[in-house]
Amino acid sequence: MGSSSQPPVGVTAIECVLGAETVSVEELETRGLLETPATRLQEFGFHCVRLSSEPAHELGLRAARKLLGVASVDPESVDAIFYVGATPISHAVVTSDPRSAFNYPVAYLQYELELTGAVTTGVSQLGCAGLMTAVSMARNFLIANESASRVLCVSSDVFPAGSRREMIYNVISDGACALLVEKGAGKNRILDYRQVTKGYYWDLTTKKNEIAAAYFPTARAIMQDTLRDCGIDWSSVGLILPHNVSLRSWEILLGLIGAPAEKLFGANIARFGHVIAADNFINLRDAEDTGRVQPGDKLLLFTFGFGANWACMLLEH
Amino acid sequence: MRDTILLTGSTGVIGRALVPLLAERRDVEHVYALVRGGGEVANLEKVKAVPGDIAAGERLGLSDQQFEEISENVTVIIHAAADTRFSASLSQLQAANVDGTQNVLDFARRCRSLRGIVCLSTVHVAGQRTDAIEEDIVEHSAGFVNCYEQSKYESELVLREGMGDLPISIVRLSTVLGDSTTGAVAKLAAIHQGLRLYYHSLAPMIPGFPSSPVDLIASDYAAAAIAHLAVSNFSAGSVLHLCGGRDTLALDDLLEITHKAFVRYRPSWRKRSIASPTIVDLSTFELFARSVDEVGDNLLRQSVNVIRHFAPQLAYPKTYDDDGCRNALGNMGIDKPRVADFYPKVVRWLIESGWADQKLTTPVTGVAR
Repeated sequence: MGSSSQPPVGVTAIECVLGAETVSVEELETRGLLETPATRLQEFGFHCVRLSSEPAHELGLRAARKLLGVASVDPESVDAIFYVGATPISHAVVTSDPRSAFNYPVAYLQYELELTGAVTTGVSQLGCAGLMTAVSMARNFLIANESASRVLCVSSDVFPAGSRREMIYNVISDGACALLVEKGAGKNRILDYRQVTKGYYWDLTTKKNEIAAAYFPTARAIMQDTLRDCGIDWSSVGLILPHNVSLRSWEILLGLIGAPAEKLFGANIARFGHVIAADNFINLRDAEDTGRVQPGDKLLLFTFGFGANWACMLLEH
Repeated sequence: MRDTILLTGSTGVIGRALVPLLAERRDVEHVYALVRGGGEVANLEKVKAVPGDIAAGERLGLSDQQFEEISENVTVIIHAAADTRFSASLSQLQAANVDGTQNVLDFARRCRSLRGIVCLSTVHVAGQRTDAIEEDIVEHSAGFVNCYEQSKYESELVLREGMGDLPISIVRLSTVLGDSTTGAVAKLAAIHQGLRLYYHSLAPMIPGFPSSPVDLIASDYAAAAIAHLAVSNFSAGSVLHLCGGRDTLALDDLLEITHKAFVRYRPSWRKRSIASPTIVDLSTFELFARSVDEVGDNLLRQSVNVIRHFAPQLAYPKTYDDDGCRNALGNMGIDKPRVADFYPKVVRWLIESGWADQKLTTPVTGVAR
């Protein structure tokens, strides 16, 4: 938990760009992009996904450009960019030339957005926990650098055309999310962040069942530990901003943690499913836009990312 | 007069432990060990294995000669045979546990020297009842967690009827875990499989309450107590709880002890950072189990089914009165081992026996009898 002597740091602006094509889960099934029957996935809360024909770095660029415009941010005032991608292909603009593996999108964004004062960092190997971790890293960066005031965090993932759209019974969208983490933020102040990594589950291909089983007890533990760190309980949490895995799994998790279903902001699960690392913050933006959060509300963000990372963040709106 | 004993279920966990205990007693003349399907019993001087089957009618599938010999000589019947598969259908279980019990009673009526029948049952005939369970046959409509419980409940109704003309004593066992000294487990039962799932990170949640009492007993204690209750302190009409009684572990304590035992006896297990199963309400567990049924891989489905067949009992917390049993055992030198002492030994034995490496396809059985 942040020390009271440290300046408040929070998420002041969020924008996203989702894949342009809206596709129903039935259509995904018709295209052979699912493993589980569409009807079952609908029962689990999924209806549509968004597919992109644009590569991840272009989607990320558009989200970041939109953010800087809407938030009227002077590009030169940005001190750092943290670029998040869950898969290796999100971290290089690859051509047929092997050297293109070093064509990093974060540098591309820095150039295109004219963020000339910003240092760049790629955040990877955290799966869907990448953006939340980047936000935490941004806070640490701002606290450690007295002269720094804002960090741009961008997450973008696009599955290759024709890829299966299901990961352990969850339906995946392409999309990018950009957000601004600022010192002295007037809203969405970061109260706490916790991350648990359990390397035993690193191999998704052989530990799928164990991961599915381990997800719940560790999710419960990290959320409870986060609240305990902050000296509050579930009654003080205004809203849970989920990662958009199935509503069914959230129903189970809510049962484990003893939180009422009304506290879950789950509307986007049906609308576009799981946008890898971006879910929690897209949900935060939409919760703000739809009036679901009020100043002072405590917001709990939870996600799980492959690489066996459970992550939880508490914000004060 | 020395007793001649007919033991059914002689190849089960309790039966196997009982055979040598009975054979070494001076007040036992002879032991007929009913054996179904070519099972083997200890080769001891007083013990005679006789092929038979409690489900094969009132003659128990005995040859004419053996039927005559046993019905002429037997003074005590210990009915330990049961179908303990939690996953079996009610009709399958009734065949052995209800009809089989009826057959044993009908056989007993043909025995000319009989002085007592000890029938092993389970404390789980209480099903979904909660609170304190008496040492008595109480009809209830609370329901059951699995068909095994129901079949044993129905079996007790048969026994109650039989008490009208037969000297019957019912001994209800709680979950038999393993040997109190060595930790050895004669046959893996549902609880051992549940522990294995935990060990392998395939047990995310358990229905119940943190304080739910988990009643476990040691197999050697159970066998010694049954031998005593059958031979030297038989009491017709009694219903006794051979269980932990007041000495139980709360579910959350049991999970913590298990975690510590895993780490202690397999230090490399620690690096897996496997979380203890979360204790959840029954509806949350059922939602999870249903979801796994709907979409889960076979391994996860099997794992959840193992838990599903017995663990919901923990969502109906209860304690078992065992005053009658403790009084009956009296000062016979049959001391009840403390569960906190023998439980870690059993976990150690399981780990060292390679139990973790066995496949999960073993049928789920209950009380390991």
